[in-house]
Amino acid sequence: MTQLGFTEIVGLDIGKQALLLLAVDPQLAGVAMAATAGSGKSTLARGFARLLADGTPFVELPLNVTEDRLIGGLDLETTLLTGKRAIEIGLLAKADRGVLYVDGLNLLDPGVCMHIMDAMARGMVRIEREGLSATYPARFMLIGTYDLSDGNVTRSLLDRIGMIVPFASHGDARARAEIVRRNNGAHDDRLVEEQMLRGLIEMAREQLPRVAIQDEQIEALSRAALTLGVEGNRADVFTIRAALASAALAGRSDVAESDLELAVKLVLVPRATRTPEATEAEQQEAEQAPSANGPAPTDQADKDSPKDEQDKPTPEQIEQLLMSAVEMDLPADLANLPFAAQRRGKTGSRGVILNNRRGRYARSIAGSLRENKIALLPTLIAAAPWQKIRRQERLEIGDSRLSVEKSPISIRKEDIRVKRFRDKAGMLFVFVVDASGSMALNRMREAKGAATRLLQNAYVHRDQVALIAFRGQSARVLLPPSPSTDRAKRELDVLPTGGGTPLASALLAALQTVKQARSRGIPQATLVLMTDGRANVALRPGEGPASKEQIMQEIHHLSRLIVFDNINAVVIDTQANYLSRGEGRKLAEHLNGRYVCLPNAKAQQIINVVA
Amino acid sequence: MSQTSNPNDKAFPFTAIVGQDEMKLCLLLNVIDPRIGGVLVMGHRGTGKSTTVRALAAVLPSITRVAGDVYNRAPEEIEQPDAPVKTAHNGLRDAEKHPARAKSERIPVPVVDLPLGATEDRVCGTIDIEQALTRGVKTFEPGLLAQANRGFLYIDEVNLLDDHLVDVLLDVAASGWNVVEREGVSIRHPARFVLVGSGNPEEGELRPQLLDRFGMHARIITITDVAQRVEIVKRRRAFDADAAVFCEAWEKEQRSLRNRITRAQKLVSQVELPDDVLMVLAQLCMNLGIDGHRGELTIARAAAAAAAFSNSHKVSLADVRLVAPACLRHRLRRDPLDAERVDSDEKIERELQKLVAVKDHGSETHPAE
Repeated sequence: MTQLGFTEIVGLDIGKQALLLLAVDPQLAGVAMAATAGSGKSTLARGFARLLADGTPFVELPLNVTEDRLIGGLDLETTLLTGKRAIEIGLLAKADRGVLYVDGLNLLDPGVCMHIMDAMARGMVRIEREGLSATYPARFMLIGTYDLSDGNVTRSLLDRIGMIVPFASHGDARARAEIVRRNNGAHDDRLVEEQMLRGLIEMAREQLPRVAIQDEQIEALSRAALTLGVEGNRADVFTIRAALASAALAGRSDVAESDLELAVKLVLVPRATRTPEATEAEQQEAEQAPSANGPAPTDQADKDSPKDEQDKPTPEQIEQLLMSAVEMDLPADLANLPFAAQRRGKTGSRGVILNNRRGRYARSIAGSLRENKIALLPTLIAAAPWQKIRRQERLEIGDSRLSVEKSPISIRKEDIRVKRFRDKAGMLFVFVVDASGSMALNRMREAKGAATRLLQNAYVHRDQVALIAFRGQSARVLLPPSPSTDRAKRELDVLPTGGGTPLASALLAALQTVKQARSRGIPQATLVLMTDGRANVALRPGEGPASKEQIMQEIHHLSRLIVFDNINAVVIDTQANYLSRGEGRKLAEHLNGRYVCLPNAKAQQIINVVA
Repeated sequence: MSQTSNPNDKAFPFTAIVGQDEMKLCLLLNVIDPRIGGVLVMGHRGTGKSTTVRALAAVLPSITRVAGDVYNRAPEEIEQPDAPVKTAHNGLRDAEKHPARAKSERIPVPVVDLPLGATEDRVCGTIDIEQALTRGVKTFEPGLLAQANRGFLYIDEVNLLDDHLVDVLLDVAASGWNVVEREGVSIRHPARFVLVGSGNPEEGELRPQLLDRFGMHARIITITDVAQRVEIVKRRRAFDADAAVFCEAWEKEQRSLRNRITRAQKLVSQVELPDDVLMVLAQLCMNLGIDGHRGELTIARAAAAAAAFSNSHKVSLADVRLVAPACLRHRLRRDPLDAERVDSDEKIERELQKLVAVKDHGSETHPAE
């Protein structure tokens, strides 16, 4: 396979700019890039490493890395050989002063994420395990890519990575053709171009300490962060660094408009949780209310600024310029951005439990063999230090049954280490709540009450929950699978009611939710439907009102799919007995599920039926 | 030990941290009176939670320990005949036998950072592998709990820590002793420390059982004031540019805070809790339906520490008001069916105001604030 140069990967311009800034200031911590398979991301990362000084480490992190490989652990062989504790250093320490490359940031094990975050926060790794206590420097630049279709990256990890390129850009057709052409063609110019870039980076690094940023610009960046609803203060620092690096790359000693723009684009925009318009509206509201804050500073500055300061824009003006410049980069639906997706999407660090049976082997702990699998190497490591002592003891008490020669290794119960596996939470409960007009207010309260009890139960068992509400024309996923029962409760509390009953849409959404969850390793799912079953809105609205037959057919069809996919279902009928025409019971039959009538059921009964 | 410490790894000065007053206050009160029972800091990411905790070490007054004692014991602790300390560390046996001859030394209050991947043997201590391998000798090698004795134990991302490890920590924190029994190694050493945990609730919630074992619960949110944010960024940049110079510039503030803490530590045992204030805080806990007496006790201790910190000999209602939210918010029973869903802070404030109003009405002698 031919190796492409950094300069030859076209169509990833913004990503490349980010990488260049990172090369100039490694304290920007890293670059996270959304990319689809085959867009040349790993080639780009490798190309990037070649731009750095010779001998810069490039460590690729395999997704299934174990804890001891990641942070380091006891080097048993050397330890036994020399009798001195020897440590095998981990990948994080190996990447010190170099590049740590992760393909599939969003697929990282939560435990691994934690260790990476911890190393990034401290600039070192700490080993406190297997009788070892040591620290190693681990100042690395993290380059991570992720395929959006696999879900989002853990936000707290993402937050520590300075620059984020949230959208995969393929460029236009011409650029794509160029990729093919270059991939096939010769790379005569590659070395020359790379040399050039290396020189550029070196110069920029020298320039960096000489670049100054004005206070107004700092304030403008802080304002921009607030306007975009960026959480925390880490981003503010990164933005300034990015702006400075950008100026250094251009060989300037002051920060220009374009530097700020690039910085906002790479650091703040991807972290946006709200639109500038929303912020503005809120501010206006606040201004209209009688406030003790005094007159708005903007007007003041405009009127009173003396002539000699006229060409020095105020922070507010700079911010406005910046906002209008990056407007295009803000997607129409902010939820597409990783941080705004808070109330949707999974975050990797949640919903993982350590167990003794299923999932991926994560670590070992002391335990009994009765219900666990032995972790052989850790057991040997645990037993090793005791060998000499035990041999001496045996000689002292004169144990003749076991001669020392016959049992070279003595392993006792206390040495046994068993495997702990990491697994996604055992069960997913999808709450599908009818919020249509036919759910009279009092019944809605009962439904919420029942749901809350179930949520509490799910919390105890560390199950995941998802919440789908349906009313009006269609169903909405209010909370995708998450272990946060609290969030589900909050969503339930503010659930509005009214409108038609699009039951089919709800079943479809539930089915999709379960399927997605399964692809992420949550095999078991139960739908909890809280409805009176009086569906009256079709999935695909045709001309005119949908016929009852059409609606029933859709529900029937979807129910079959749900049954076929082995999804458990419980229908909690919210209809009062005397009014019921048996819709709820029928639905339960379709779904091959259990049926409870809410008005009669006691909370514990419901839990028993569902769990 | 193969500890390779980093000399140029200076912590950000505690006094240079902008805002987040509640967290800072909770930490300081626990320094003044460790019996308050630790702090849980929960809040947004990137808001300086771990920076603040790690900054604490530098403003803590130093303590006296027996020279070289790995358990950081005070000289008088070794003398105490009723403290059945069982240790197996070389070198100190002499001091234990003849406490009068033991030399003492001043050390900074330990702040031990517990990494998430820590294994139980390193937390509690285990036999020294090297000694065992080479000489076949059972020597106990103390773990992080020993290091943390008389200091602070900090767990970042506490909500992500393995459950069994959290249980161990809380048990030790509650009893003040770490006990290790294994194949003839039998160790029991003091491990009194203030447990400080931090985390982002978004990453997963803390088990309710763990929640109320922390004395105080500080909440922390993103600062939305532009001027403050700019100040945060500027200080951070100055620190990153030259940590030594930055710390030097803040040394005066640091010293003055350290002195204030030392003074408060001396004063706190003499702080008086007037009966009427005691009544108010008992009534407060009752009205809020808080189980057990840990709520009252924590407020009483925290309020006394707050009084001492402001150099007062008497707990005032203002002190109670200052500490009550952090002492109680994680102890309120959560009623998920509560239609109003009142914020726990609001609830506490409302009850407080009611009580203060009643009290003012009853006696004019104590102005509320």
